Amino acid sequence: MAEEIQLDISPMYEGERIRKEDLWIEMGGPKADGFELTLAASMDEVQDGKVTVIGPEPKDIPEGSTIPFGMIFKVAGEKIEKDLESIIERRNHALLSYISGLMHLNQRYDIWMRMSKSLQKKGVQYWEQIFKPVISLYKAEMPFIEKMEVTIVTDPAKVKEELEKAMQVYRARDERAKGLHDEDVDVFYGCTLCQAFAPTSACVVTPDRPSLCGAITWFDGRAASKVDPEGPQFPIPKEGLKDPIAGEYESINQMAAKRSGGEYTVMKLYTFFDAPHTSCGCFETIGFYMPEVDGIGIADRDFKGAAPNGLPFSTMAGQTGGGKQVVGFLGMGVLYYFSPKFLQADGGWRRIVWMSKRLKERVKEGIPAEMYDKIATEDDAKDLESLKRFLLKVDHPVVTGVVRPVDGKKITEGWKFEEITDELKEKVIAFIEKYGGEIDTDNVKNELLMSEGQFMQVVEALQADGVLE
Amino acid sequence: MAKLEGSFTVEDMKNVQINIGAVVKEEEEWDQPMGPFPKPQIATLRDWDFKILNRYKIFYAPADDTCTLCTYGPCDLTGNKRGACGINMEGTCGKIVLIACLMGTCAHTAHGIHLYHWVMDRFGDMKFDMGTDILYDAPVYQTIIGKKPRTLKDFGEGLTYIEEQVANLLAATHTGQEGSYEDFESKALHASMLDHLGMEICDMLQIVAYDMPRGDPNAPLVEIGMGTLDQNKAVLIAYGHNLAAGAEAMVYVENNKLWDKVDIGGVCCTAHDLTRITEAGNPSILPQNLGPKAKVAGAIGWWRKMVRAGIMDVVMVDEQCVWCDTLKDCEERKIPVIATTDKIMYGLKDRTNDPVDAIVDDLVNFRVPGVVILDPMKAGEVGVKTAIAVKPKRAEIKAKSVLTEDEFKKLVSSCTKCNECAFVCPPHIRISNLMEEAAKGNLEPFSSTYEVCVGCGRCEQVCRQEIPILKMYEYANREYIKNQKFKMRAGRGPARDTEIRTVGAPIVLGTIPGVIALVGCSNYPNGTKEAYDLAKEFVDRGYIVVTSGCMAMDMSLYTNEEGKTIWEQYPGGFDGRNICNVGSCVANSHIAGAAIKVATIFAHRNHRANWDDIADYILSKVGACGVAWGPYSQKAASIATGCNRLGIPVVVQPHSVIYRRAYLGRTDVPEDWVVIDARDGSKVRIEPAPEHMLYIAETKEEAMLMMAKLCFRPSDNSMGRMIKLTHYCDISLKYFGKLPDDWPVYVRHASELPLAWKDQMMKELEEKYGWKIDWKGKKIVEGPIRPADVSFDPTNIERKIRVRK
Repeated sequence: MAEEIQLDISPMYEGERIRKEDLWIEMGGPKADGFELTLAASMDEVQDGKVTVIGPEPKDIPEGSTIPFGMIFKVAGEKIEKDLESIIERRNHALLSYISGLMHLNQRYDIWMRMSKSLQKKGVQYWEQIFKPVISLYKAEMPFIEKMEVTIVTDPAKVKEELEKAMQVYRARDERAKGLHDEDVDVFYGCTLCQAFAPTSACVVTPDRPSLCGAITWFDGRAASKVDPEGPQFPIPKEGLKDPIAGEYESINQMAAKRSGGEYTVMKLYTFFDAPHTSCGCFETIGFYMPEVDGIGIADRDFKGAAPNGLPFSTMAGQTGGGKQVVGFLGMGVLYYFSPKFLQADGGWRRIVWMSKRLKERVKEGIPAEMYDKIATEDDAKDLESLKRFLLKVDHPVVTGVVRPVDGKKITEGWKFEEITDELKEKVIAFIEKYGGEIDTDNVKNELLMSEGQFMQVVEALQADGVLE
Repeated sequence: MAKLEGSFTVEDMKNVQINIGAVVKEEEEWDQPMGPFPKPQIATLRDWDFKILNRYKIFYAPADDTCTLCTYGPCDLTGNKRGACGINMEGTCGKIVLIACLMGTCAHTAHGIHLYHWVMDRFGDMKFDMGTDILYDAPVYQTIIGKKPRTLKDFGEGLTYIEEQVANLLAATHTGQEGSYEDFESKALHASMLDHLGMEICDMLQIVAYDMPRGDPNAPLVEIGMGTLDQNKAVLIAYGHNLAAGAEAMVYVENNKLWDKVDIGGVCCTAHDLTRITEAGNPSILPQNLGPKAKVAGAIGWWRKMVRAGIMDVVMVDEQCVWCDTLKDCEERKIPVIATTDKIMYGLKDRTNDPVDAIVDDLVNFRVPGVVILDPMKAGEVGVKTAIAVKPKRAEIKAKSVLTEDEFKKLVSSCTKCNECAFVCPPHIRISNLMEEAAKGNLEPFSSTYEVCVGCGRCEQVCRQEIPILKMYEYANREYIKNQKFKMRAGRGPARDTEIRTVGAPIVLGTIPGVIALVGCSNYPNGTKEAYDLAKEFVDRGYIVVTSGCMAMDMSLYTNEEGKTIWEQYPGGFDGRNICNVGSCVANSHIAGAAIKVATIFAHRNHRANWDDIADYILSKVGACGVAWGPYSQKAASIATGCNRLGIPVVVQPHSVIYRRAYLGRTDVPEDWVVIDARDGSKVRIEPAPEHMLYIAETKEEAMLMMAKLCFRPSDNSMGRMIKLTHYCDISLKYFGKLPDDWPVYVRHASELPLAWKDQMMKELEEKYGWKIDWKGKKIVEGPIRPADVSFDPTNIERKIRVRK
């Protein structure tokens, strides 16, 4: 048994960086293999508090060296299930960083850790002296962890071997997360964390609709509600489906009514327009409807300058937020852009006409290939006129009418003039006179900034007037 | 009456008088409806004040038992006696507090009024534009006045409003007027709210007119310290708080390409503002990027040390915290003084209308010790020309004004060790010991106490041997002074809207435990070092730390083991683990502004003419705490009291006892801690959060502990409470070696217990406090004041109740 050592443990050490001069041992990182893996196990598979070490202990490692490193946490408890593994694993960064003299960066197979000389001075010699307190920290933070066991791997060959196995686990988890949809679960999670600041905010988190702050996925909600059944995240039974396309459920409506203090009685999951989700204040991105092109633009928080509607992020965000349902604006989390149900009632990606460049790049994987080039960024369109020109050029679905993929229904008619003014008629006459009979649709788009439909609208009006035959 | 529009005829009217008032301006584009309290009068927010004062009891500790304000007196007020006018002791104390707060408010507002007129003269009216990152551009103004200023001229309305309020408030202090101490305090809160308005107007005017950084987290690093002033050049010092004349001196130097001959340094807040000029890159009639060319000589506490160090050739004084013996100190050393505003004229002749060369000639030949020049452009030109011309003439004087080795040794031996000096020294430095050691050739004690010394000079006044002790300090610290060269981030101005939005979530999630505002003058024994320690402690803990004024300057004088100042160690954003210098004294309004912006940007509260609603929100939900560390000028009194009216508690330093007033919560009175749940109007007893409104801490360690504690808010969610409680306990353990006595008061749920001590604390709750614990579920079953409820919507205002039960 190694002697117990009193470590300094506090959240204030979370941002602590260990510089080269203070380095005792570096684990993983750019120069060596490293991984972290948390596994759910049954109660009899885990020996609580045990730390097994495969390979050299800190006292046997030369000062200043970089070693391959793996840490495997096995957890067990009545409420523990496989889906909680990655949630528990994700706490590694914060909890390990709470220990003064221990630095933890990145995650999974990318971990980069350092121990400082201050730990050496404190008398640390064995891994157990670090990881026993870690077990206590985990059990304190997540009381549903009843037993926890740690295996530290420092033997280079063994690290390689275990890393291979871990990679398979990560892959399987990712497949599961990606493959999990709203249809596959019977419970969603609500989150009222923001109510402390925005009292009518009532967030719903589903596999296909992560939170708008980006901090809570369905898995997080599930873990949190298990940790603390009376806490800010709570289960919402998936009941009373009223509209599968817009994502309206009786149980969500009831939750919204209750949590918003009666402010909102209907809240739908996959739509921008009719009774959308409430927006708190901390959304990662904001969507905005532009009636002039009948499409939706999206800007991220770091987008500087004005979107094509003339408004910067801050102004639009100023109109939204505070836990309100706001027509024409919607706060959304970055992960939602990877969801198959992304605004599915409104045509999904076919309704998106503009995105800030950084955001578009960031969510590239989530955008259907055929839509990627049809969505403008600030490089393509800075105002409504240049946006119209761009959309006409790329034949964006909003121009001719959006058929929503979810059910093949045509939900917009495409661009239409509400009124055929004399000005429009004169423009078209001048255009026809210029080209005689030869009407090229590209010229219509470029010179008149009209869709074919709009052009035909004017032509028909002129025919009705008897000006054209 | 129906609203009439369009034209009207007067043809058939007789004996009709038509009055045309002010032309009503176009309806403003502001989607927020006008709130209930535009331009509040003295009584308008009195209900809110009384809510604060009922919970946070006014605590007086009068230093003077008599009232001597009028000639009916002096009146003895001890033992419940009343004065000739009928006032009692509490009333007199309240009156003094109000007068002090009014002094502070007037100092900042008058600064704003001066700038308002000067800016109109110099630049003409300009569009009020804080750039695309700041759309909530004058939050304090909007919250109080209920309007959005569009041009600089529009701010005049705010200044006029303050002037009227100040006249009414000061009137109430006349003999025989207000008699209730609570009403005096309500009036002090009103006066101090006006201070934040006056400060904001003042800073917005200069930000736009002088194109200062508009919330730029990467504002340039500027040079600070006595050693940064190049002694091969003529050194012009601008001392005070109003940049007008100093800025003109810089423009003159730039336009005449004189930077190789002149160095310009600032002392006190003028230093901040000079180093902020023309950094935003907007078109301006001033030359670009002038700010970083000026240097920060130092803060208020360093003035007497600076003047004795002989680093300057000319001093321009403007206004506010400028020591009254400046002229005397300068005259002795033949440093010409130019007084540039009518607030400080030192009995000097007003030469505003004389030709530049004639004035320069008189100053350079020492015919007069100084002059008054109220035209900033002329003052700037005279300052630069005088500095250049006087420098060679001063070389000899300069050498004579400081001690030689022989002189120093002689003085050391003349000390009789009577210790009169140690008695009057604020930090009681045993100066005789320094002399004794110096006699042995050991100057170390003189060095190690250099920063402890506040430079007040009381020791010299009582010394029977007339030993110039401050001069001896200069001799012993000559190397330090030469090498006092550091970096400070130039004042960045307000928090950006996007920054507020970014920190919104972490504040909600608790990963940012609070906002700490370090303001005031740290000219207190060890105050400069303590400014650094306080800042570092809280930046390291992930708080948002904002600072300003002399505090920002003083914390720049220390470096970590890598030789980096606090500004080089951390980024300059309004974010956790950042440190953000908002700017000079008047930029303190941006700290109040940031709190307002959390309510309005993040939570979408209407702030327009809605002070009490916003203050109520901040008091319940925004974990912010102000700190004024150092002797507490009247300006600091009004800044702190204004924060209090906005629901932000403030910790002050022991010297602040001099105002004899604190606002202290009584944790032993449960009925003081009842709030309304806005969801249904029910009454809920809360934990004492925040516990005090104005707290006097005796040491920096006690201050740190209290700062962490005063960031608790009733609406903290469990994660946030856990993190806040962890820091509170951790600071207590770190500096006092034990957990604070009252930690269980803040526990509502097991998840709020700090992870590192969770089991131990649960045991203690059960055994020592009799709480019921479910050990299997690791839950608290019974014990807390109330259960944790994240949707709890605490308010102190009836009209915020959404649905009545």
